[in-house]
Amino acid sequence: MVTLRSIFGVLALVVAPTLAAEELGAMWGTAQEEAKYYPIVNIPIPQEVPMRPGSFEILPDGRLAVGTRRGDIYFIKGAFEIPPAPEYHLFATGQDEVFGLSWKDGSMTATTFSEVIRVTDTDGDGVADRYETLSNNWGYAEGHEFAFGSKHDPEGNVWVALGLSGSYESHNLFRGWAVKVTPDGRMIPVCSGLRSPGGVGTNAAGVMFAIESQGPWNGCCSLKHLKQGAFLGHPASYNWYPFVPGMKAPAVEPNSNSRMAVEKRRVKELVPPAVCFPYIKMGRSISGFRLNRTGGKFGPFDDQIFLGDYTLSLVMRATMEEVNGVWQGACYPFREGLATGLMTVEFTPKGQLIVGGFTTTSQWPVRGTEPFAIQRIDWNGRVPFEMREIHILKDGFKITFTKPVDRELAAHTDIYNITTYTHIYQGDYGSPEVDQTTAEVMAATPSADGLSVVLQLNAIVEDHIHDFDLARMTSQDGEPLLHRKAYYTVNEIPKN
Amino acid sequence: MSHSISTPFCRWVLFGIFLLACLLASASADVALPALAASQLDPGLKGLVLIEELHCAACHTSDAPFSTRSKKAPRLSDIGSRVNPDYLQAFLQNPHAVKPGATMPDVFSHLPENQKREVAQSLTHFLLSLKTNDFGFQAPDAVAAKHGERLFHSRGCVACHSPRSGQGAELLNSSSVPLGALDKKYSFKSLVEFLQNPHASRPSGRMPDMRLSRQDIERIAHYLIRDTRVPGPLAYTLFRGQVWEGLRSDEVRPERAGMVADFNLASLGRVEHHTAIQYEGWINISNTGHYTFYLEMNGGLLTLDGKRLVEEDPSDRREVKTFETSIDLSVGWRKIELTYFHTGYDPRFVFDMEGPGFPRHPIPSSMLSVSNEPIPTFKPLEVNPALAALGREQFAKFGCARCHDDLSVAAPPATTFAKLNPSRGCLSDSVGPWPRFDLSQQQRSWIALALPTAEQQPLDDLQTLNKTLITFNCIACHQRKGLGGIAPERSVYFTGTHEALGDQGRLPPPLTDVGAKLTATWMADVLLHGGRQREYLNTSMPQFGESNVGHLVSLFNKLDSLETAPVRVVTDLRELKSAGHEMIGVNGLSCIACHDFNGQKSTGAGALDIVHATERLQKNWFHLYLREPARFYPTGIMPTYWPGGQSVRPNILGGDSARQIEALWAYLEDGTHAKNPIGLSRQARELRVTDVTEICRGQSPVGYRGFAVGYPSGINLAFDSEQMSLRMLWKGEFVDVDLGTFHPRGQERIVFPSGIPFHRLKSLDENWPYKGKTSYTFPKDHGYQFRGYYLDAHRKPTLMYRYGDIVVEEYFDDISQGNGSAWFQRTIRLDAPDTQLPFYFRAATGKSVMKKSGREFSVDQLQLRIISDHPGIVREGNPAEVLIPITLPKGATTLSLEYQW
Repeated sequence: MVTLRSIFGVLALVVAPTLAAEELGAMWGTAQEEAKYYPIVNIPIPQEVPMRPGSFEILPDGRLAVGTRRGDIYFIKGAFEIPPAPEYHLFATGQDEVFGLSWKDGSMTATTFSEVIRVTDTDGDGVADRYETLSNNWGYAEGHEFAFGSKHDPEGNVWVALGLSGSYESHNLFRGWAVKVTPDGRMIPVCSGLRSPGGVGTNAAGVMFAIESQGPWNGCCSLKHLKQGAFLGHPASYNWYPFVPGMKAPAVEPNSNSRMAVEKRRVKELVPPAVCFPYIKMGRSISGFRLNRTGGKFGPFDDQIFLGDYTLSLVMRATMEEVNGVWQGACYPFREGLATGLMTVEFTPKGQLIVGGFTTTSQWPVRGTEPFAIQRIDWNGRVPFEMREIHILKDGFKITFTKPVDRELAAHTDIYNITTYTHIYQGDYGSPEVDQTTAEVMAATPSADGLSVVLQLNAIVEDHIHDFDLARMTSQDGEPLLHRKAYYTVNEIPKN
Repeated sequence: MSHSISTPFCRWVLFGIFLLACLLASASADVALPALAASQLDPGLKGLVLIEELHCAACHTSDAPFSTRSKKAPRLSDIGSRVNPDYLQAFLQNPHAVKPGATMPDVFSHLPENQKREVAQSLTHFLLSLKTNDFGFQAPDAVAAKHGERLFHSRGCVACHSPRSGQGAELLNSSSVPLGALDKKYSFKSLVEFLQNPHASRPSGRMPDMRLSRQDIERIAHYLIRDTRVPGPLAYTLFRGQVWEGLRSDEVRPERAGMVADFNLASLGRVEHHTAIQYEGWINISNTGHYTFYLEMNGGLLTLDGKRLVEEDPSDRREVKTFETSIDLSVGWRKIELTYFHTGYDPRFVFDMEGPGFPRHPIPSSMLSVSNEPIPTFKPLEVNPALAALGREQFAKFGCARCHDDLSVAAPPATTFAKLNPSRGCLSDSVGPWPRFDLSQQQRSWIALALPTAEQQPLDDLQTLNKTLITFNCIACHQRKGLGGIAPERSVYFTGTHEALGDQGRLPPPLTDVGAKLTATWMADVLLHGGRQREYLNTSMPQFGESNVGHLVSLFNKLDSLETAPVRVVTDLRELKSAGHEMIGVNGLSCIACHDFNGQKSTGAGALDIVHATERLQKNWFHLYLREPARFYPTGIMPTYWPGGQSVRPNILGGDSARQIEALWAYLEDGTHAKNPIGLSRQARELRVTDVTEICRGQSPVGYRGFAVGYPSGINLAFDSEQMSLRMLWKGEFVDVDLGTFHPRGQERIVFPSGIPFHRLKSLDENWPYKGKTSYTFPKDHGYQFRGYYLDAHRKPTLMYRYGDIVVEEYFDDISQGNGSAWFQRTIRLDAPDTQLPFYFRAATGKSVMKKSGREFSVDQLQLRIISDHPGIVREGNPAEVLIPITLPKGATTLSLEYQW
């Protein structure tokens, strides 16, 4: 029998992946309205369970698995019931902090700060008894060096994003890199240039991405493409190229106090962030994400990415498309007012979104007030009027909506306020928004069914975030948008 | 004796070269007052600042207030001990070439060059005749200079002076207060004395007292004069640490450098164990022939004339060795480099030479020099009384005495200030018997603007304040609305120790509204008495002197005002304080998550200790700040808990924002006597072992990949799953666990050093390998790979790893006697696919190891017994080790041992 450990007192290790650099910022102010479509449900946690969720997985038998900072893995039955009727079972214990869980072939593969480990119950008593280390071949010798792991990819690899030794430097092997660990325990370095990554996962095309935090060389949080051989922006991790057979360090380092548009031409390995999350407007420390593959059970946002934010305790959406071989896309507000700092999210078999995380007394401020929580966002079947997705065109954008728009109103160019800006690409911490422009909408053409509008712009600005504000847009029933804002990161402009 | 040159002729030749270099390097620059150029001050006021900084009123007398507050020139009575006389004379002769940007005018610009030199010479003799002088050069310490370089660029020096490249080139000289060639001007000693008390010679405080420790001042001085060269026998650098790893190891650090008389260790003072000394110099060979060198040492490297003669890696586990080596040398200076490692058993160093006409003997100082080129020796100037008397007259005649008024030399008056004509004399381009300042057109235009009104219009408070902030270049470090702030190109030099605090953790606080923020007492403390709260800033708060900036305290308080925040009348102070106590703690707003509290460090950002808030801050500002921190620190990390005036904790004091903030104030007013808030200390969280084995992993005293196992018999162990090594045994309570960390509890600890379990030693001298900070691929590079563990029915783990192609499993069983005593039986199963080359297993280490039999050892408090048929040996050293030689056949081999303590 494994002892359950009681929880009280103060937490220690700093986990928040970003440094919050301003006050928390105003709320979107949409929580009350959001609740009409997506109510939040609490999953109760027994007092004796030290629950600081760092990662989720769904077991084949429909139970929720939770990896914790304390190094435990719990299996929870009944978490998806209405109302929830959770029963907690301790499956594995004693690991370093668990920030990645993936079930495959009767074993749980966990990513902890120190290793990728395959945990198995070989004698069938429900408790793990075999802990096989697949790889611990990255350096880990400083408190800030977090590791976040993905689900298994189709080849059975687990991808791990390794944070720097603090914000500015990489003191230990492969800090600032993404690596993949094969089922037979080899570790293959994939790309350099991460700063303080969070969750790792795929987009709808199965391409692997990681969350990145605002800080040095990162003007805001973002989703970054873990492209083989790429350099993702923070040059501290250049020093590990000599340890990667067959990979050469980029010929040049990026210049500080520059722009991504300039440096991506100088440093040919530099892959710009696919989706940027303007600081405070769209979270302050995005943390974990999952692709919505619920087949409509979670409303009109299939194949979209849902992300949690640690500091602001909210959930956002993101969409992506590949343009000229480069990934880019948009982010959208979704749901605020969660109870704690979110670290991880997961879709349930019933099409609910499970979110979880914690606050600590020793780190950055969090808007949510609970020291830890597991919550569920359910869809009640009502469709909110929302921008569903923004696509880029060669001379403008196409916005799709969840419900038909008021076609007459939607044809007015002046209801689309589109401003653009970018960040300083610099070694200093974060960046203000700079180089602001205002896009002129030359024409707005709603589709016959009213479910999309094509906007023709005087100009699209490469490497700028395009900040959409559709405050006056209404549906054909006169309903205003639940969220009037969206942010499209233009890395490339389609050639035709 | 070392060779040197010192004739007066050489002195002038060398200095002439220096002067010529100055003249070529820079056409004279404008008077450099960077704060003036950078600030947004009104041009008329800028003119007034210039009039004061150039001390126009020294010659052009005036009764107006600016006359008395003008900058006083440096005091000269001690200059003979402070400044190199050669530099002094060159500077007097051509100040703007020797020190471009200097505010001192050239008063001889109208004289022909030979007359200039004569006047400068007699003035120098006069100034050196004032007192007995002790000026002389000292050799720089390159190790201290390296620290000094960091300090110079982080403590705030480069807020005003130019930062420098690694090679010493000034990077921002056009926007900096010039320093000139400090290595030519000062000696190490005189620079240290100046930096310790700059106001003694410069009473107007433009160069502030940086409040640095003596050691930091010395390091900065070593850096600034690092190009000074003085003759001497031998240069050395002394290193300390695990020197057998090589001088580039992370575990070895340079401690000091300088010059030493010879290779005798005693010449360096006390040399500790685990030291390395790198000597470098030239030896003067007077007879061509065959030379033999005799050395006794643990390890070292001798190179002569570019040829490597002795190379022996040091070992900490060995006696001293003897070396004899020969080389043919011809007459002349021959380069000698020797690295000596003071380590191993009974370390000592003997280094003798034998050659034609030189019987075996240590090399004397007289044959050694730090350079094969002559280095001039500094000879103090012998004051010529006639020249000094002439100089005294010229000191009066040329008006030097007007500014340098500390020598009581009378000087004739000039035109009064009121009658000045901005198009003539010093303010014109024409050359004549007046001081030449090298003012820019813009500077002249500022002065022209100020001239007519300087005497008439008294400054108002705001003008006085702004002018003072510019004069003392406060805006080089502090932002103030309407004046400016840190220049973007200098921002990078402002650093701090608490990265998590963002810019607030590295930039000195802004001065906008500071008079409405700080109490007058605290402001006076900061400005005048070195008061300091932001220990995380690397820059220090300079002290400019009460007579220079004392008036700022009342001016700030008078001029800065903010609107009045809503405040509630206090009804029940006790309820208020109790609410404040609740809010500060983890169940409230958790202020202590980021803020230190009463000397207890926060576990997070390490922001200012909040118990001092009410001593430092005005209450109104506290209210306004808490409501909207970003208004005062736009890039700060302090969140607002009252967004839009609404409290995020509506359950406290009815959610009344004003009362809540008042409650925090009331609670903090108790200062260091305030009751400890909830959640302040990290509560220990013990992991107890009951009837089954417990495991916890993570950051720990045995490494970041620590692996602790607590057994039901009450004994515990910690293993390092990075290096596969047993690191600790102890009895009693198991561990305290926290998120990702554990700390052993209990007692009777046996601790083993870091390192791998198996290794093929090349010889018994070789150090046992362990992971150093930069051995990035260790221990994979020794063939190791951790593979996890599995649990038996009692949940006792078997550890799995590989050593090369050997599959290793380790199992620890806790054997209990029933009488309360318990020990470990350790079983190591090695499975080899083929016969293996012999290697060693390190079974235990300690200070004192005794072999009782081939299979029984006592290792300090530990009794080690080898159960399987694998006799061990003892290797002496620090620590001593029990090594078990292993010859592994194909197939499975089991090694079993018992650990009792």
